[in-house]
Amino acid sequence: MIEQILSNMWYIRPEIALTITCLAAILADVFFKRKALVAGVVLGGLLASGVLLMEQYGVSAPAFSHMLAVDPFSVYFRGVILVTAMFVVLFSLSSVEINNPRLRVGEYYALIVAMTLGMTLMAGSSNMLMMYLSLELTSLSSYILAGFTKNAPASAEASLKYVIFGALSSGLMLYGISILYGLTGSLDIYAINHVLMTMGANRLALLIAGVLIMAGFGYKISAVPFHFWTPDVYEGAPVTITAFLSVASKAAGFSMLMRFMKVTFIDSTFAGPVGTWALIPGFEFTNILIVLSVLTMTLGNLVAVWQKNVKRLLAYSSIAHAGYMLMGLVVLGNDGFAAVLIYFVIYMFMNLGAFFVVMLVSNKTGSEHIDTYKGLGSRAPLLSVAMAIFLVSLTGLPPTAGFIGKLYLFAALINAKMIWLAIVGALNSVVSLYYYVLIFRNMFLREGTGSTEPLKFALSDNIILFLLLIPTLVLGLYFTPLVQFAQYSVAMFGVR
Amino acid sequence: MMEFKILGIGILTWITFLPVLGMIVVLALPKDSKSVTRWTSLAFTALQLVLAGVIFMNFGRGIPGVNSLDGMQFKELATWIDIKSVSWFGRIHIDYFVGIDGISTPMVLLTALISFIAVLSSWNIEKSVKGYFALLLLLDTGMMGVFVSLDFFLFYVFWEVMLLPMYFLIGVWGGPRREYAAIKFFIYTLLGSVLMLLVILALYFSVAIVDPATGEKMHTFNMLAMMNPANFEPGSILAGLNTYWRYVAYVGLFIGFAIKVPIFPFHTWLPDAHVEAPTAISVILAGVLLKMGTYGLMRIAFPIFPDAAIYFLYPLAFVGFINIVYGALCAMAQKDFKKLIAYSSVSHMGVVILGMAAMNTQGMVGAMFQMFNHGTITAMLFLIVGVIYDRAHTRGLDDFGGLMNQMPKYSAIMVVAFFAALGLPGLSGFVSEAFSFLGAFQTFRWVTIASTLGIVLTAAYMLWTLQRVFLGTLPEKWKDLPDINGREMVALIPLGIIVLVLGVYPSPMLDIMNSSANALVDFVKSGSGLALLGR
Amino acid sequence: MISIEYYLLLSAFMFCAGVVGVLVRRNAIVVFMCIELMLNAVNLTLITFSAYFGDPRGQVLVFFVMVVAAAEAAVGLAIVIALFRNKLTVNIDEINILKW
Repeated sequence: MIEQILSNMWYIRPEIALTITCLAAILADVFFKRKALVAGVVLGGLLASGVLLMEQYGVSAPAFSHMLAVDPFSVYFRGVILVTAMFVVLFSLSSVEINNPRLRVGEYYALIVAMTLGMTLMAGSSNMLMMYLSLELTSLSSYILAGFTKNAPASAEASLKYVIFGALSSGLMLYGISILYGLTGSLDIYAINHVLMTMGANRLALLIAGVLIMAGFGYKISAVPFHFWTPDVYEGAPVTITAFLSVASKAAGFSMLMRFMKVTFIDSTFAGPVGTWALIPGFEFTNILIVLSVLTMTLGNLVAVWQKNVKRLLAYSSIAHAGYMLMGLVVLGNDGFAAVLIYFVIYMFMNLGAFFVVMLVSNKTGSEHIDTYKGLGSRAPLLSVAMAIFLVSLTGLPPTAGFIGKLYLFAALINAKMIWLAIVGALNSVVSLYYYVLIFRNMFLREGTGSTEPLKFALSDNIILFLLLIPTLVLGLYFTPLVQFAQYSVAMFGVR
Repeated sequence: MMEFKILGIGILTWITFLPVLGMIVVLALPKDSKSVTRWTSLAFTALQLVLAGVIFMNFGRGIPGVNSLDGMQFKELATWIDIKSVSWFGRIHIDYFVGIDGISTPMVLLTALISFIAVLSSWNIEKSVKGYFALLLLLDTGMMGVFVSLDFFLFYVFWEVMLLPMYFLIGVWGGPRREYAAIKFFIYTLLGSVLMLLVILALYFSVAIVDPATGEKMHTFNMLAMMNPANFEPGSILAGLNTYWRYVAYVGLFIGFAIKVPIFPFHTWLPDAHVEAPTAISVILAGVLLKMGTYGLMRIAFPIFPDAAIYFLYPLAFVGFINIVYGALCAMAQKDFKKLIAYSSVSHMGVVILGMAAMNTQGMVGAMFQMFNHGTITAMLFLIVGVIYDRAHTRGLDDFGGLMNQMPKYSAIMVVAFFAALGLPGLSGFVSEAFSFLGAFQTFRWVTIASTLGIVLTAAYMLWTLQRVFLGTLPEKWKDLPDINGREMVALIPLGIIVLVLGVYPSPMLDIMNSSANALVDFVKSGSGLALLGR
Repeated sequence: MISIEYYLLLSAFMFCAGVVGVLVRRNAIVVFMCIELMLNAVNLTLITFSAYFGDPRGQVLVFFVMVVAAAEAAVGLAIVIALFRNKLTVNIDEINILKW
C-alpha cells in the first residue's frame, strides 16, 4: 500500500511542485520586502511545474487507485491552466490595483498558486471525492481572490455573491454525487460506469443526479442558468483575477465535465465508427447539453450588447464562449472534444489579451467604462490595434486564431449532421460582432472627450502584449501543430 | 504555356500580395510623411496594374477553365496546411491554390484598375493618411485574393479579410452617418459569410478525393474537386441530386453572395455604405465589391450545385427583375447625387443577375461583361460625384443647375459616363446589357420584357439628372466653381477611354470570357455530370 | 430497523429547505446557515447509503465535506465582515452596486 502510494508520487510531481511553490510564496512574503520577488518565486514554481508536466507527455495511467487519471487529456488542460497562471502573474506585476500598498500582495500570489493547484487536480480527477475536493480548493481560493481588493465595495460584493452562488452550486452538485453514490455504491467514475452498464439504474434518479452534478459544472464554466455570478464577479474582481477566472477556471470546469461525461455515462458496448461514442441508453444528457449550449451563447451574446463596462461586457462574452464550447460536447465524438481543446488554447490567448488591454487602460485611466476607450486609437495606437485584433479573434474572423477555433467547432457539428445547432452558433457569432465592434468603434471612430496626450506603456507591458498577440495571429494562419497536439490529447485513460 | 514567375514566385501571388507589401512599407514610413505615403501607395498599385496588364496580354484565349484544372491559367499550387489523419479524423489538407480563367480574369483586371484609381482619387484625404492607405492596400489584397483563389478555404479567408478594412475606411473617413453605415455593412456581410462558412464545411465533409501522392482518400476544400459530382461521397450530407440539404446549402451560399451583390431584399446596406463612404471607397465598393457576389455565384454556387441552380433559376431571374425595376424606381426618387448612383448600381447589378439566370452563353457573357462595365462606369459616376462634392460640399441634385458652361470639361466626361450608364449604343454598357437581355429573353420571356421597363426608367432618371445639373440657370453661389483638375482627369480619362473603346470594339474582353461562359453554361446544364450524382 | 426511505426523505426535505432558504432569505448570515443545512442533508444521504451498502467510502466523503464546509464558512464570514465594513449591512438586497 505504502509502496504503491510512493510510486504513484511520480504522477503528481507537477502538483507537488505547485504545493511547494505555494508554501514558498508564503515564506517569501515573510522574508522579502519587495513583493515582485514573491512573484518571481511563483513564476519559477509554475515554470518548474510545467517542466515536470512535460515529462508526463504520452503517459496514460491511473494514480492513487483511480483517484486521478494521468493522461494526454489532463496534461493538455493542465498545460493551459499553468500557462494562464503564468500570464496572470505577469499581469499582476504591472497591475496598479493589485500593487496597492494597503494590500498584502504576497498572499495574493500564494492564493493564485493554490487555485492553480486546485485546477490542475480538477483536470485529472477521476473520482467524485477528488472532483469535489479539487473543485472546492479552486473555489475557496477564488472567492478570496475575487474580493482581494477588499476596500473596493464592488470587489467585496462580488466576492460575497461568488461565495453564495458557489456554495449553492457545489451543494447541489454534492447532492447529485450522493444520489449517484446511492445508485451505484461507488465514487470512482470508472466503477460507476461499470455498474451502470451491468446493472442499470433508475432512469429518473440518474437524470436527477446528472442534472444536479451539472449544476456544479455549469457554475464553474458559467453556463446559463448557473451564470448569475459571472458578470458581477468579473466586474467586481481585480482584472487579473477576472482574466484568470475566465480562462483557467473555465478550462478546469470543462476538463472535469468532459471527463465526467465521457467516462461515467459512456456506453461501453457501443460499436459505432471509431472516435464516436454513445451515452448509456435511456440517459438523455445530450439534449440537456444542447439546450444549455443554445441558452448560454444566446443569452451571453444578447445581454452583452447592452453593457457599458468593458469588463462586464467581456464577462458576458465569456459566457457566450462557454456556450460555443458546449456545442463541441454534444457531438459525442473525438472531433468535438478536439475542437473544444483547440478552442481553449486560442481562447486563452485572445481572451487574456483582451483583459490585459483592459487592465493597461484602467491602470492609466482608472476606469473600465466603454467611454474611456474613446479616442484611444490615436492616444495608444499599438494597444488599440492589438485590442482590435483580439476582439476580431473573439468574433471569429479570419485570419485570426479565433476563426480556427470556431471552424473546428462548426466542422464537428456539421460532420455530426447537427446543422441547426451550427446555424444557431453561426448566427450568434454575428450578434457577438456587434458588441465587440462597440469597443473598437470607440477606440478608432470616436474622438476622446478628456485628455488627448499619448499613453506610454512600459517595455515589459509591450512584450507581454506581443506574447499574446503573436499566437493570436499566427495560429490563424498556421494551426497544424496545435491541431495535431489537440487531436493527440483527446485520449483519456480507460476509455476508447 | 509560358511560366510567369518573378523571384520564383508566380504572378498571381505577386498581384495579390503586392498591396500587402505596400502596406508594410506604408506602415514603416514616418508618421508625418503624407505625400511619400500617397506616392508609395500609388507606386504599388501601379505595379499591380502593370502585372494585370501582363496577365491581359498573355492570357490564353479560348481555354475554358471553369471546372478543369488544365483550363486554369497562371495557376499556383502549394500545400498550406497538412495535418496527418488520426484513426477517427481524416487528413486535413488545405492548399494555397490560385489560378484564373475567363470568369476571373476580367475581375482581376478590374480590381487592379479600380484600386489604382481609388488611390489616385484618395489624394485629398488628410486625416491619418498612413492608416488610410494601409487599410486601402489591405483591402486591395483581399479583393484580389477572392478573384484568384481556387481553394474554398483560401477564398473564405480573403473574403473575410476585406471586412475589417472596409469597416474602418467607411467608419473613420466617411460622411456624417458613417458609424451606422459601417456597422450595417459589417453585420450584413458577416451574416452572409457565416452561412457560407457552414456550407463550405458541409461541402468539405461531402467531397473526398484521392491524394495522388499517397493514395489516401481525403476531404478537400478544392473548388474544382467540389465541382466534380463523382467526388461526392455516397451517404454524405450533400451527396445525391436535388436533395433537401443541397437546396439548403445552395440557398445558404446564395444569401452569402446576394448580400454582397446586393440582391433585393438584402440591399439596404448599400445606399448607406455608398453614400457615407469617401469617394475612393465608394468607387471600390461599387466597382469591385459588388462583383464579388455575382462572381461567387458564377464561380462557386452554379458549378458546385448545378441541380439547385437550375431548380432556383426562375426565382433568380425574378429577383433580377426586381433589382432592375426597384433600383431604378428608387434612383428616380433620390435628391442626393450619390444615393442616386447607389440605387442605379442596384438596378445595374439586376441586369447581371438576369443575364446569369438566362443560363445560356449570351446571357452569361452579357452578365460577365456587365460586371466589368458596371465596374468602370459606376467608378466613373462616383468619381464625378466626388469631384463636384469636393468643390461644392453638397450632393443635393436640386442645388445645382447650369454647370454646363461653368465646367465644360467636367460636363463632357459626365455626359459620357451617364450615357454609358443608361446603355447608349456605342458605349460599353450597351453591349453588355444587350447581351444580357437577349440571353434572358430566350429563357424567360415575360420577366425580361418586364425588366426592359428598367431601361426606360434608367434613361429617364439619368437624363433628368443631367438636366437638373447642367441645364437651367447657374445658382449665384457656384459662379466661381473651378473645372475638373489634372489629377481628377487622370483618374477619369482612362475609364472613359475603356468605356468608349469597349463600346465600339468589345472583343478584347469578350474573347477572354466567351469560352469560359460557354463552358460554364454547358457544365451547369449538361446531364452528363448530373447523371453520376444520381447513384 | 427503520427503512432507508425515511432517511432519504428526511435528507431530501432538509436539502430542499436549505435551497429554498438560500434563495429567499435576505440576511447573508442566514444564507450561510442554509448552505450548511444543504451540506448536512448531503452528509445524511451519504451516511445512509454508506451504512446501507456497508461501504466506508461514503463516510470518508462526509468527513471531507465537513472540512470543506468549515473552510467555506470561514471564507464566507470573512467576506461578510469585509463587506460589512464597507456598507454596514449584511442584507443582500442592499448589496447592489453590480447589476445587469
